[in-house]
Amino acid sequence: MHADPSPVINTSRLAKNFGRTAALAGLDLSVLPGEVHGFLGPNGAGKSTTLRILLGLIRPTSGTARVFGIDPWAEPVRAHKDVAYVPGDVTLWPNLTGGEVIDLIAGLRGGADEGLRRQLIDEFDFDPRKKARTYSKGNRQKAALIAAFSRPAMLYLLDEPSSGLDPVMDAVFRRHIRRVAADGATVLLSSHILAEVEQLCDRVTIIRAGAAVESGTLAELRHLTRIRFRVTSAVKPEEMATWRGIHDLRVNGTAIEFDADAADLGYVLDALATAGITGITAAPPSLEELFMRHYGVQAGRQAGRQAGRQASHKSQAQ
Amino acid sequence: MSAVLRLALLEARRDRGILAAWILCIAGLGYAAATAVTTQFAGDNERAALISVAAASPAFLFLRGLPDVISSGAVTFFQGYSFTAVLAGLMSVFLVVRHTRGDEDQGRFELVGSTRVTRVTSLYATLLFGTFTNVVLALVAAAGFIRAGLPVPGSFLAGSAVGAVGLFFMAAAALVAQVMPSARSANGTAAALVGGAYLVRGAGDALGTADSSLLHVTAAWPSLFSPIGWGQRIRPFTEVDTLPLLVIGAGTVVLAGAAVALRNGRDLGAGYIAADESGPERAGSGLASMLGLAWRLQRGSLASWCLTTAALGAVAGGLGPVVRDALAGNPSVAELLSRIVPGDAGLIDLFTAAMLGIAGILAAAAGIEAVLRLRAEEAEGRAELLLAAPVSRMRWLGGTLAVAAISTTAVAAAAGASAAVVLALAQAGGSSPGMVFAAALAHIPAALVFPAVTVLVFALAPRWSSAVGWGALAAALVLGQFGELLGLPGWLQDLSPFRHSSAMPVEAFHPEGALVLAAVALIAAGAASHLIRGRDLTV
Repeated sequence: MHADPSPVINTSRLAKNFGRTAALAGLDLSVLPGEVHGFLGPNGAGKSTTLRILLGLIRPTSGTARVFGIDPWAEPVRAHKDVAYVPGDVTLWPNLTGGEVIDLIAGLRGGADEGLRRQLIDEFDFDPRKKARTYSKGNRQKAALIAAFSRPAMLYLLDEPSSGLDPVMDAVFRRHIRRVAADGATVLLSSHILAEVEQLCDRVTIIRAGAAVESGTLAELRHLTRIRFRVTSAVKPEEMATWRGIHDLRVNGTAIEFDADAADLGYVLDALATAGITGITAAPPSLEELFMRHYGVQAGRQAGRQAGRQASHKSQAQ
Repeated sequence: MSAVLRLALLEARRDRGILAAWILCIAGLGYAAATAVTTQFAGDNERAALISVAAASPAFLFLRGLPDVISSGAVTFFQGYSFTAVLAGLMSVFLVVRHTRGDEDQGRFELVGSTRVTRVTSLYATLLFGTFTNVVLALVAAAGFIRAGLPVPGSFLAGSAVGAVGLFFMAAAALVAQVMPSARSANGTAAALVGGAYLVRGAGDALGTADSSLLHVTAAWPSLFSPIGWGQRIRPFTEVDTLPLLVIGAGTVVLAGAAVALRNGRDLGAGYIAADESGPERAGSGLASMLGLAWRLQRGSLASWCLTTAALGAVAGGLGPVVRDALAGNPSVAELLSRIVPGDAGLIDLFTAAMLGIAGILAAAAGIEAVLRLRAEEAEGRAELLLAAPVSRMRWLGGTLAVAAISTTAVAAAAGASAAVVLALAQAGGSSPGMVFAAALAHIPAALVFPAVTVLVFALAPRWSSAVGWGALAAALVLGQFGELLGLPGWLQDLSPFRHSSAMPVEAFHPEGALVLAAVALIAAGAASHLIRGRDLTV
């Protein structure tokens, strides 16, 4: 698409410590112009911290962050000129109405597009005349989303933006992501909802315990991973388990299930053909499985505990 | 019953730090007053002089209470009771609202409410915990008095008087919390009740009649309408009367019972006065700037502050004739005054200056409150929404700072205007309305130092901004009201900005002091605007 595009977002060995807790530990993230980039990780992996650094709200302990080539800590106003942001945990001014909040936020960015504003309020089925204190979590999120989408931006930073939306509203949200992407905007979408990322994103960066563990297109990530087989065969499972490249073999009724390394696929298929099979299905792993592979281990649990600590810290603040 | 106890323990666990600070400060103030009286005014003659001056001055009566002969304990009670009672009331109000509507507004209550408890279980727990807290306060305060060398029975009664007022306002706040639409409005209303009780007691005491010895003053009827006035009637160190304790106790039980009944009949998170649930669909042009947003967020609160200080000013002005008559009807008072008051300032002017000094404190408080909105915006995540837009932190801070300065100015002006008008209408003599108004404005530079210092702390150590802001104001109040009594060194008293503003109309206006204070405020605010860029946004 882009011959040699300079990234819209670029972080290099980004680190951030909160006291003794390392929220980010050398994160490299690169988001190219016009792409919808999924930023995937469990709670507490450092997604929100990264977004806050990109917004110049907090200063990195070390490493660099650039948005449109600008250091957001040094020049936040210039870096934010064309950025729309939806925080993960939206709180609004209790005594302003939703409509006022939308106008306030969009107004600070230069003013809403009237047509878009009306369309978004309509599609999100949002009542802008209610005071914000009466809104549920989903409605507060809608207000922030409408404010973000009601004025075109070059970059959208969205922190788990659909976590409070019902499936119908989620569809509206996805439609507008596709719309701004089609208009050439860049989107960084932080999420732990895999289906969302799978449906929307061109590229994905997976973050765990403050560092990127994987980055690439979904196709590239699958290339690195194992294929899930389900076969019915006369071969004994014990024998099959000894084959090269086979992992996690188990018997499920009459079928044998196993994962095979992508590099050993030829060997596995040959062996299966030689041994004789009566049924086979082979599927690429869902992102869900990719995810579990990265976080279903000890390190992932530890990151989860850190997240718990941060969350309790957040809720204590008044 | 065990659920009530568990919830009360949870509240105690959450509040132990802040309540320990409250109790130690309140009891510490009492202890300091008692120590000052027993050491600096050890002789009967010294205490008699102190008391007779006070008895002759309606300003003293209004601010402090009733002189009640000259034993060390009685002088301590006179000096310290009213302020400690107000503090006990405020402590109880904030405690109750925090654990009732505060928890409901923050969504914490639902977790508890979903367990095997009734709607009122948590209210019982809060009342239990509030009662416990005030009992501890009474005991700690009594221990302080005893430690300072006051008689033991009187010390316990004096501590009980303070604790009883705390209990009364605990119950009153519990009732207010059922009625008001939000935690914020409940806090404001209940705190205003405490302030009102102080004012009503002050009016009753200022209207009181001194006996011929000038060592004892009997309150007039308005003090019967104030729980703080009732507490004072216990007279713990002279002719003890425990009936007032029973009156306060009965009032507490009635109010608490009403609160429980009302709690049973309302929805979670909704008071009997319904909150305004809808409003305009579009933002007006006022919300186009940070200044506009800050104004919008502060204007309701500012109106309450202005009304409060206007009421104070009106009381001050309305008491003018009383003050004048106190002088006319009692030649010995006139003679005494001519000896103690430097120059030829009239009694009314003294009174006005004292009242407007309190208005200056309130003006500072309004400014601090406005500035602390920044902290709430930051901690609750709304600042993030604003600062993610192309808005510099300086603009964000600047809007609120401007509104804080406006708040401080408006509150002082409201007090001055109402005092000037009412005093003129009362035709009591004293200074011209213009002079009275100017006297209120003279405190603005000193008052502005407080929001400026608060915002500086906010820029450097945001989590401390609330504690330092309110703590500085409390310190200034103690220095101003008790500095002389406690015999604190001059340099320490000079730390209070209000020491450097002119107590018009008694003193002439000193432009140097005002200029230095204004410069301090400006420098602190300017430094904050710069330093705010250097720190992380902190929840």
